[in-house]
Amino acid sequence: MNTWLLLLPLLLPFAGVPLTLALRKRRKIQSALALGLMLAALASTFGLLRAVLTTGQPVSVQMGSWQVPFGITLTADPLGVFMVLMSQIVLSAGLIYSLGSTEKVVQYPTYYPLFLALAAGLTGAFLTGDLFNLFVFAEIIVISGAVLTAIADDTYGVEAAYKYFYISTLASVFFLLGIGSLYVAHGTLNLADLAARIASNPSAPLTMTGMAFLTATFLIKSAAFPFHFWQPDFHAAAPTAVSAMLSSLVVKVGVYAFFRMTALLFPEVTLLKTLLVGVGVAGVIYGGFGAAGTHNVKRMLAYSTLAQIGFILVGIGWGTPLSLAAALVFTFNHALVKAAMLMLAGAMASRAAVKSASFEVVVGVGKYYPFAGVLFLLGGMALAGIPPLNGFISKLMIFWSGVEAAQYVPLLIIGVASIVTLTYVTRAFIRIWFEPNPKAKEKAGDRLLAPALLVLLSLLLGVWAEPLVSLSQWAAAWLGDPAFYIAAILR
Amino acid sequence: MQDFILALPLLLLGAGTLTALAFSRSGWSASRLGWLLSLFALTSFLLILYAFTLVPSGKALTFTLPWIPSVGLDFSLYLDGLSALFALLITGIGTLVVIYAGQYFGGDASAWRFHAYTLLFMLAMLGLVLAGDLITLFLFWEGTSISSFLLIAYKFKDEAARKGAFKSLFITGGGGIAMLAGFLFVIHLSGGADFKTVLASGGFLRASPLYPVFFALIAFGAFTKSAQFPAHIWLPEAMTAPTPASAFLHSATMVKAGVYLLARLNPALGQTDLWFWTLSIVGLTTMLVGAYLGFKQNDLKPLLAYSTVSQLGVLVALIGQDTEIAFKALVISILAHALYKSALFMSAGIIDHETGTRDLRKLGGLRRQMPLMFGITGIAALSMAGLPPLFGFLAKETLLASATHPSLPPIVDSLFPLATVLAGALILAQAALAVWGVFLGKPADEKHPPHGHDPHFAFWLAPAVPAIISLLIGLTPVEPQFLVEFLADAAKAAYGDKVKISLALWTGINVPLILSIVAVTLGSLLFWQRERIRAWMTDFLPNFTTNALFDGTVSGLDTLSRTATRLQGGRLRVYLRILLLSAIVLVVLFNGIPRQISLPALTWNIEGLNGLRMFSLVMLTVSALVSVFVRRDLYAVIALGITGLGVAMWMALEPSPDVALVQLIVDILSTVILILSLSLIPRKLRDRANELLHSRRGMVRDALLAGLAGLVVAGLAFTALNTRPRESVVSPFYAENAKPLTGAKDIVGAIVVDFRGADTLMEILVFSLAGLGIYTLLHYATRKSSDRTREEPEKRLKPNTPRGVFNLPTSPMLHTLAYIMLPLAFLLGITHMMYGHDQPGDGFTAGVIISLAIAQWYMLFGYYETRRKLAWLNRNNMIAAGLTLAVLNALGGAVFGGGFFSPVDYGRMLRLPLPPGFYLTNSFLFEVSIALSVMGAATLILDNLGHPREEDLEADADLAALEEKQ
Repeated sequence: MNTWLLLLPLLLPFAGVPLTLALRKRRKIQSALALGLMLAALASTFGLLRAVLTTGQPVSVQMGSWQVPFGITLTADPLGVFMVLMSQIVLSAGLIYSLGSTEKVVQYPTYYPLFLALAAGLTGAFLTGDLFNLFVFAEIIVISGAVLTAIADDTYGVEAAYKYFYISTLASVFFLLGIGSLYVAHGTLNLADLAARIASNPSAPLTMTGMAFLTATFLIKSAAFPFHFWQPDFHAAAPTAVSAMLSSLVVKVGVYAFFRMTALLFPEVTLLKTLLVGVGVAGVIYGGFGAAGTHNVKRMLAYSTLAQIGFILVGIGWGTPLSLAAALVFTFNHALVKAAMLMLAGAMASRAAVKSASFEVVVGVGKYYPFAGVLFLLGGMALAGIPPLNGFISKLMIFWSGVEAAQYVPLLIIGVASIVTLTYVTRAFIRIWFEPNPKAKEKAGDRLLAPALLVLLSLLLGVWAEPLVSLSQWAAAWLGDPAFYIAAILR
Repeated sequence: MQDFILALPLLLLGAGTLTALAFSRSGWSASRLGWLLSLFALTSFLLILYAFTLVPSGKALTFTLPWIPSVGLDFSLYLDGLSALFALLITGIGTLVVIYAGQYFGGDASAWRFHAYTLLFMLAMLGLVLAGDLITLFLFWEGTSISSFLLIAYKFKDEAARKGAFKSLFITGGGGIAMLAGFLFVIHLSGGADFKTVLASGGFLRASPLYPVFFALIAFGAFTKSAQFPAHIWLPEAMTAPTPASAFLHSATMVKAGVYLLARLNPALGQTDLWFWTLSIVGLTTMLVGAYLGFKQNDLKPLLAYSTVSQLGVLVALIGQDTEIAFKALVISILAHALYKSALFMSAGIIDHETGTRDLRKLGGLRRQMPLMFGITGIAALSMAGLPPLFGFLAKETLLASATHPSLPPIVDSLFPLATVLAGALILAQAALAVWGVFLGKPADEKHPPHGHDPHFAFWLAPAVPAIISLLIGLTPVEPQFLVEFLADAAKAAYGDKVKISLALWTGINVPLILSIVAVTLGSLLFWQRERIRAWMTDFLPNFTTNALFDGTVSGLDTLSRTATRLQGGRLRVYLRILLLSAIVLVVLFNGIPRQISLPALTWNIEGLNGLRMFSLVMLTVSALVSVFVRRDLYAVIALGITGLGVAMWMALEPSPDVALVQLIVDILSTVILILSLSLIPRKLRDRANELLHSRRGMVRDALLAGLAGLVVAGLAFTALNTRPRESVVSPFYAENAKPLTGAKDIVGAIVVDFRGADTLMEILVFSLAGLGIYTLLHYATRKSSDRTREEPEKRLKPNTPRGVFNLPTSPMLHTLAYIMLPLAFLLGITHMMYGHDQPGDGFTAGVIISLAIAQWYMLFGYYETRRKLAWLNRNNMIAAGLTLAVLNALGGAVFGGGFFSPVDYGRMLRLPLPPGFYLTNSFLFEVSIALSVMGAATLILDNLGHPREEDLEADADLAALEEKQ
């Protein structure tokens, strides 16, 4: 039973790709099927979470029943299931948004297959227990994300996708070099096995080189400064529902990999953690100012992701149980909020005179949509870390862990950067909802159900934060002792 | 459980907010809604009053709800004297303000929004003072910032309102972040967030080396909220809020939040030199600045706002003192100020409402028209001026008493009284200015005197109540015992020790009284010479403001922002350069820079280097060099293809035939794709790109970078070869078990479809997505815009003459070749699939081979002819079928075999007669599914790149339907 609970979250969206492709001429059935499969996958993820919680052990399955490390392992350990849960919630919202979207792209026959492929890639990346298999899932994410952006209504989509694809290809080369180095050094690809072997022979030649290449790879994937260049264009140009996924989930693959690297593969390398703190702080500064400096809401939110990823990397870099839990809480909350905010930005852009998220165009559009305004204000508060939204819990925990770990300088910087967040969010809100614009007219646009659900969830997780926080602490505790993970897989 | 009563007022106010929202479409007038909502506030007031009677004297009532138990955070409420003082002011004045706002907005049915914000604000403010721990306090603290942002921006069409709202949120929000950090230090050090723990660990906190840090952070938060110099600038601009909001926020509540916090934490963090000096200096400066600036104003609201700033300075300075009398003065001042300032603000609102202006230069002589308002305003103004027999007099007397307390250090002991007297005089002059300007003096414009009359009962009731209370407390001959005890309780909570309170106005002739007389005299002089002095003030430091600080911060932020966005130049080459360099830096960083580079002794082993290998090496190197240096892109692509062939050849000689075969096929496929793509780019653009690419500087830079990257990878490969463990972990297992467990003679085949089949499954998805992507991009996305040429239907149905790529005629001989190649390719593909397990070749190679043969058809016959001849070829369905089969096949493993993806031999299971060497296993079916999806995707790619401008009937219909929808 548990095996199926582990397989279904991945298998359902994967099988959905050919099924929705075959149904490409029946758009209504196609989209309903896509959403149905995603919701079923979400439900099985909850079942998976329950299984992991009740047994207190990771659920794992060997593909083709080949024993570890010769076959590929799928593993739902606390971290993995946490990330999958986050992804599937947001992905479901993304599909709901797509269903109510007025963009042309959602009407293309291949939109839903591509979206489901993205979902499968994300789920697989978080569930696989094999380094090379992770590479393959990362490829799925890259190609589906790139294509979905290239076919966007936004004419810059192709350029953005092109840049992203180029840079991702470079990342893939780094990834392969990293995998190759580690394979040469330790002769295995299974994460648990690899971790055990690195621990027993940390100075094997090429171990550090492998780590360096993996670091470069995941810094690109998580769009950390200065590996971020593809991100603002890419996230801003993508179709709204897709950009919401890219900015909230896809960059988290890199973040996830850093959890694994610092906790499982290379727990002894302090230089890596220091580097993450440095890169994170730089991202917090750069992303914050970048967001304040753009003239486009979607782009602003893309830059904001850069900063928020910075916060998370800082938490991972500090590496204390509390800071890891804080980073996890941050990861989850940011996914909900960023997706909701991008959807709201897109929904307002769809109601503007010309379809654009540029401030010049969307200024004052909010006049006729006070409900969207309430959602945007709440989402903005969450982004800026203001209670009672979930973003406050993230900020509280990250600050707290910084105080506890006596990391005063990074703490000071991320504190100051929080004010920048507040500034750009408030300005965006004032521009869209408060400033008058005679050109703004009432107009049909993208439906607001999906962002409303996400904001509601953000509010709920701010008021009733205990489930998420205790889940994160539990996952962080597992991260704190890699021996448990290794033993659970290699048993 | 009776402690739950503490939560009730908060719940009630929450319900009130929701009620206001619920009435948004009811069409109820603001006044009616105001009456209804005031019940919520009034009940809260009464509940707190009742709850306070349950509090044992000097103790606190607490209510705790576990909030995030896993990190030890609670939601807790706490009621003692200090919080009760504030809570009663908030709900009491709040009740009046809600009624008042109802009258102020009158019949306006859209003012439900204002009511909702007000109730929300009241909820936040009440929660702030009732909070039982630092985190709960912070929750509500930010709540006040947000709700006051909404209130200030209420008239958001007005630019000043938007600016004022942003400014207040920026400043108080920034303070909030600092404060949160400070709180976390305190929580971390004292081991708990609740006030009992924090107050009990005061000594430990003060002794901590981090004390200056968290003190500064918390004080910064409190100062910004309570509008202390130099952060006071947001308060006057917040006057763009409707007057009821100003009366509430800026007299009794929000601005006092910082004061409350400092008073609350005084027993834990106070009584240090740092505390004393910081609070005294900031407080006294604010007091003087506020008093000075207030005297300049002509508009009633800013005048009152600056006097509030001044008063807040007084309160902060008092908390800084370590004397009993200071805390007596503190509680009395808080109460007195809240009473008279709310009355004055509400009166100002009425005057504005009735006459249409708040400008002192336009008002005057209204005492006859508005006698009642004259009375109310007069009483409140007398209290503000600190004249007997008003409550304000008592406040000033105790303030002066603490300003002349003998425990003050030198210099301060003279500065403090001096500043107090000066500020007192200025405030008195302002109070006089306000009353004189509105009611007594003559209007500046005699011809157009202001018109107005006293409003009806409900409107004037609101300011009358606090004004009359101010008067009553002063006049009552016997000290009201309950009030004395109440204030003593509040003062004790702030001071940390007993404070004796008396409310007697007359305490004999003493220093404070003399100073008070001096202040009154000075104030009267100021008022008498007001014209001259105010004229001088406008000239002296006319632009004295700390707004520059705010503007500077914001514009600095903007400058940095522009710089940040400019770094994002948009040029891919630059990005790639930075990425490549950064990665190299990472490799060097993690490996450390070796002290000495010692290459292991190289032994040239040229035994295996036969002629063929030499040839492939030379081919590889030369073609790679050619691909870099040749000027035409087409040749470069071909050279690159040759490099790939060189690799394939080397692999074939290794010998690793599987890799060689795949490499060969992929190389051909990618070369074809690249050439097709190039053909889509206009020649001119390509030539220009070539020129740019070969600029001298660019070449040198790229060569350097490529050399560096090459060195790193070469080093990696070199190390790998030299250190590789001869015994790999997984390879021996694969070698031993490929045949017995999977039935494959070919280890690579076994790895690809069995041991690591999941990888392959995902990779065919990647390949399929690439095909679908190119199809959608070229057939939908790039054609959706209106510049798509719409040809006539009859023109679309092209004649059947076979025309090749670019519409060029093709020869019959080539046609014959194509007819032969396709069946051959199928035959080859099928053998690859059937025997892929034992021989080089597999489903992937099969798919590519067949699709290359099909691509040849497209090249030679053109799109329409090929579609007509190969009608069965539906690429999308092929991909769908391949992927579905792959999934089903993996599931088959679970049904018939050991688990998901496990090997199953269907042939043996069903006892089918099969040709020798061929096994109908799920590995074979997997190969078929791979071939199907790869074939679908590869033909999609080749066809679409080859014929991007051809019409696609399916896509055209879709796009037409889309356009109709829009």
